Amino acid sequence: MKQGAADTGARLSVTAHENDNVATLLDDRSTWIEIAGGITVSAGVPFGHKIALKDIVEGGEVIKYGVVIGLARTSIRSGEHVHVHNIE
Amino acid sequence: MFTTLNSVIGEGWRRADDRIGLRNHVIAFSTVALTDRTTVLAAARVPGTLPLCPAFQRGLRGEDAALQKRMIEAVIAHPNVGAAVVVTHDRVAAATLLAACEMMGKPVIVVALMAQAGMQAAQDLIVGHLQDLMGRVADSPKSRLRLSDLCVALECGGSDATSALCANPAIGRFVDQLVAAGGTAIVSETAEFLGGEDVVRAQCLDPLIADQILAYLTTENEMMHTDGTNYRGVNPTQENIEAGLSTLTEKTMGAICKIGKSRFAGALDFGEKPAVAGLHFMHTPFFSPTSLTGMALGGAQIALFAMGVFNPSGFPMIPTVKICGNPRTLSEWPDAIDLDVSGIISGLSDYDDAADGILRLLGEVANGKLTRAEKWQEGQIIIPSAHFPL
Repeated sequence: MKQGAADTGARLSVTAHENDNVATLLDDRSTWIEIAGGITVSAGVPFGHKIALKDIVEGGEVIKYGVVIGLARTSIRSGEHVHVHNIE
Repeated sequence: MFTTLNSVIGEGWRRADDRIGLRNHVIAFSTVALTDRTTVLAAARVPGTLPLCPAFQRGLRGEDAALQKRMIEAVIAHPNVGAAVVVTHDRVAAATLLAACEMMGKPVIVVALMAQAGMQAAQDLIVGHLQDLMGRVADSPKSRLRLSDLCVALECGGSDATSALCANPAIGRFVDQLVAAGGTAIVSETAEFLGGEDVVRAQCLDPLIADQILAYLTTENEMMHTDGTNYRGVNPTQENIEAGLSTLTEKTMGAICKIGKSRFAGALDFGEKPAVAGLHFMHTPFFSPTSLTGMALGGAQIALFAMGVFNPSGFPMIPTVKICGNPRTLSEWPDAIDLDVSGIISGLSDYDDAADGILRLLGEVANGKLTRAEKWQEGQIIIPSAHFPL
């Protein structure tokens, strides 16, 4: 488990598995455009929601916990919110 | 950490069937909706009794009828029940039930409403029996309770990202210790194993057990994907989605952490009793009051419940320990949570600390501390049925 530190100015995030292409944000600073693991994060992503760690092509696998949790319905850019609007 | 693997953690009531209760409830149990009102009014007049009025129907058919009958007997036989006043509508049902309860080795009085005359007189009769039973169980001796005496129901509700990071894996760490000490655990909600097939295959004591569990998963998968309905919003639920979970597989991968590294020793139908110690899978619907019913009536004396966003579930006869790692839920619903494991996110504590906290709390609950769900008298008995009744 890899966590971003809250005191560096980055949003607190966790990447559950080394193969994951999404990370989960674990703080409420959702109005900030901040950095998690060196990645620019979209503003407005709430606590507990996911962002892409790299670009994901349309139809591409969304990987969390090292397993495929869904497929991208549209192309998703690094740092973008990943949720029911763009994966299934 | 444990000094002794299977150390005494508290005290409980040893029953005639050698199971041990963490509670010594005197229940007022209505076995059909017709008798619910009289039963609940009677129980309200005798403080300390536990009313159980699950609005059971008549006219169930086939396996539905057989399951309801087995579950009625399982309620009365449950180790957390010290004595029972059981109410039926007709005399034949009363006689049949009384015969079924004779071997349970605990005081059971069966009252047929049709054998009484008058609403008030019937209620007064039940009150008299409840008062009598309260007196009879008041000084029941207690025995030492070890981890190997426990059957623990594992449940989650209001799942979110913190459930997967904090509460579920904390429960998993405790379950590894419980199973190593000779205890028993049951995990359920078949839908929330979909996508976790590889974990099931890797964590069974015997390939035949994996086959049984995977057969349940196949049944569930067909149910969810052959009627043309998209069940996103049902499971994962709307509150799961609001909290950030996108797909059922994502929810599964969090929920499955409750089993820790333990291996399945058995696969059970709804409400079935484990035949051996160890970790068991039970085939239940995903709605937590229903799955808790299955596990409790399969013999669980206590439940560990991982909460992400708020969920009030409990089960009336068993203490339900609510474990939460979501800082906002902890701040907004403190009167619904028993154990804070949010320190795992901030790095202030780890899974071993959380497992120690669970063990400590179990000991306190065994020795009489009420869980939050018990204080609110949360919980329902809900039995799934397959067919439209007669």
